[in-house]
Amino acid sequence: MRSRLLKPARDGPRLPDAVLLLTAICLLLRPLDVWWVTGLVLLGAGLAVLYPAVRHAPPTWGVLAILVALRIAAVWPLSDNHIYLLSYWCLAIALALGASDPPSALSRSSRWLLGAAFAFAVLWKAVLSPDYLDGRFFRVTMLTDPRFADAVMLVGGLTADDISADRTMLEPLPEGAVLADPPAVHESSRFRAMAVATTWGALLLEALVAVLCLMPESRRVEVPRHAAILAFCITTYALAPVAGFGWLIAVMGLAQCRTEQRLLRASYTAVFFLVLLYSEVPWTGVLHDLVS
Amino acid sequence: MTVADGRTNGLAIWRSVLPVAALVVVASVQVVLAKTASLTPWKGGGFGMFSTTDSADQRMLRVVVAAPERSEIIEITESLEDAAKRAAAFPVPRQLERLARLVVERERRHGRPVDTVQIECWRPEYDAVTLAASRRPVGELVYRAEPPAQTGP
Repeated sequence: MRSRLLKPARDGPRLPDAVLLLTAICLLLRPLDVWWVTGLVLLGAGLAVLYPAVRHAPPTWGVLAILVALRIAAVWPLSDNHIYLLSYWCLAIALALGASDPPSALSRSSRWLLGAAFAFAVLWKAVLSPDYLDGRFFRVTMLTDPRFADAVMLVGGLTADDISADRTMLEPLPEGAVLADPPAVHESSRFRAMAVATTWGALLLEALVAVLCLMPESRRVEVPRHAAILAFCITTYALAPVAGFGWLIAVMGLAQCRTEQRLLRASYTAVFFLVLLYSEVPWTGVLHDLVS
Repeated sequence: MTVADGRTNGLAIWRSVLPVAALVVVASVQVVLAKTASLTPWKGGGFGMFSTTDSADQRMLRVVVAAPERSEIIEITESLEDAAKRAAAFPVPRQLERLARLVVERERRHGRPVDTVQIECWRPEYDAVTLAASRRPVGELVYRAEPPAQTGP
């Protein structure tokens, strides 16, 4: 049997250009900050954007997968998790391009990769973490991370002074010291409700994505699966400062769409650019200013 | 997916199995390292970000340099930043020792004596009800620097 590892399948369906182009754009938008990797990745991704022959060639994505993996190794353990997923995704594209039915192969890879990634995320939140299910993580993060401040004022009902005072009280004392009578952190009932809703909403939505992606493929599961992935991207990346992850999930969702699902494909493309907008426009601050 | 026979189907499946197998292996290793070697759940490819307050950014390193007539806590400067981030994220002896060696080099470069470098890594913890904040140690190393090379007759 002739190997299809190095050559794209000539007959049959091709991978949608949008999936390959948006993946290349992901690589261009977030350079990998290791100089000898960055140059090569930008070159490969740039050529993939410009030349169809390059972006439909399995070696392009195989090399990109290896370069991203080398970056992970070079800065280990500092890489964010979406960089790992990016490497797996580039590998999946390289392998799918050599398949007899690339769109089906990549769609399956996308479902399994997203399902596995979300399953591990749920495992961490629901089982392994000591401070997620009781709401501590979001109660602390929403008060200490300045990127949540506008949303906390808008939805949680706290003032900027409340948040500033809480942030000071939440600074741990050095070297294990503990105050005998620690001051109470000011949390309104709205803020508590916001933290609880975010805690359980995130967990349940991630669990839904994991289950729907890992279930055997069928038309019944398809629509709920796409709805869950889109809902996750639209809600999570409005606040979570990891746009690279949002872009990648949107592209992976796009790869699961059939050619005739034009509305769905447009939705994923729109979400890709929505996440880009989220990362560049301080929308919670704008909303807060309008409301107040 | 074109299926000529069962064997073709199996060969086609491996194209999707390989990437997800890599993910599962790496994520499983990350879980083990997080639970046994204090790797922060936010790093390492296990998708534990946004699950715990124990992120790499929130961990604290305390670096104490000691020599005759000297014992002081030193700040993490730009030249030590990369090693410090890795040590904070994964405070195993290898990473802590790398940071300690860089501290020794830097101190001697600036003409300051150093015999030992003690590095402690602390993670934040919050009370479940009151959110009272404290820290808990997750890694420690005492590094004994080799004597500086003698120069001249």
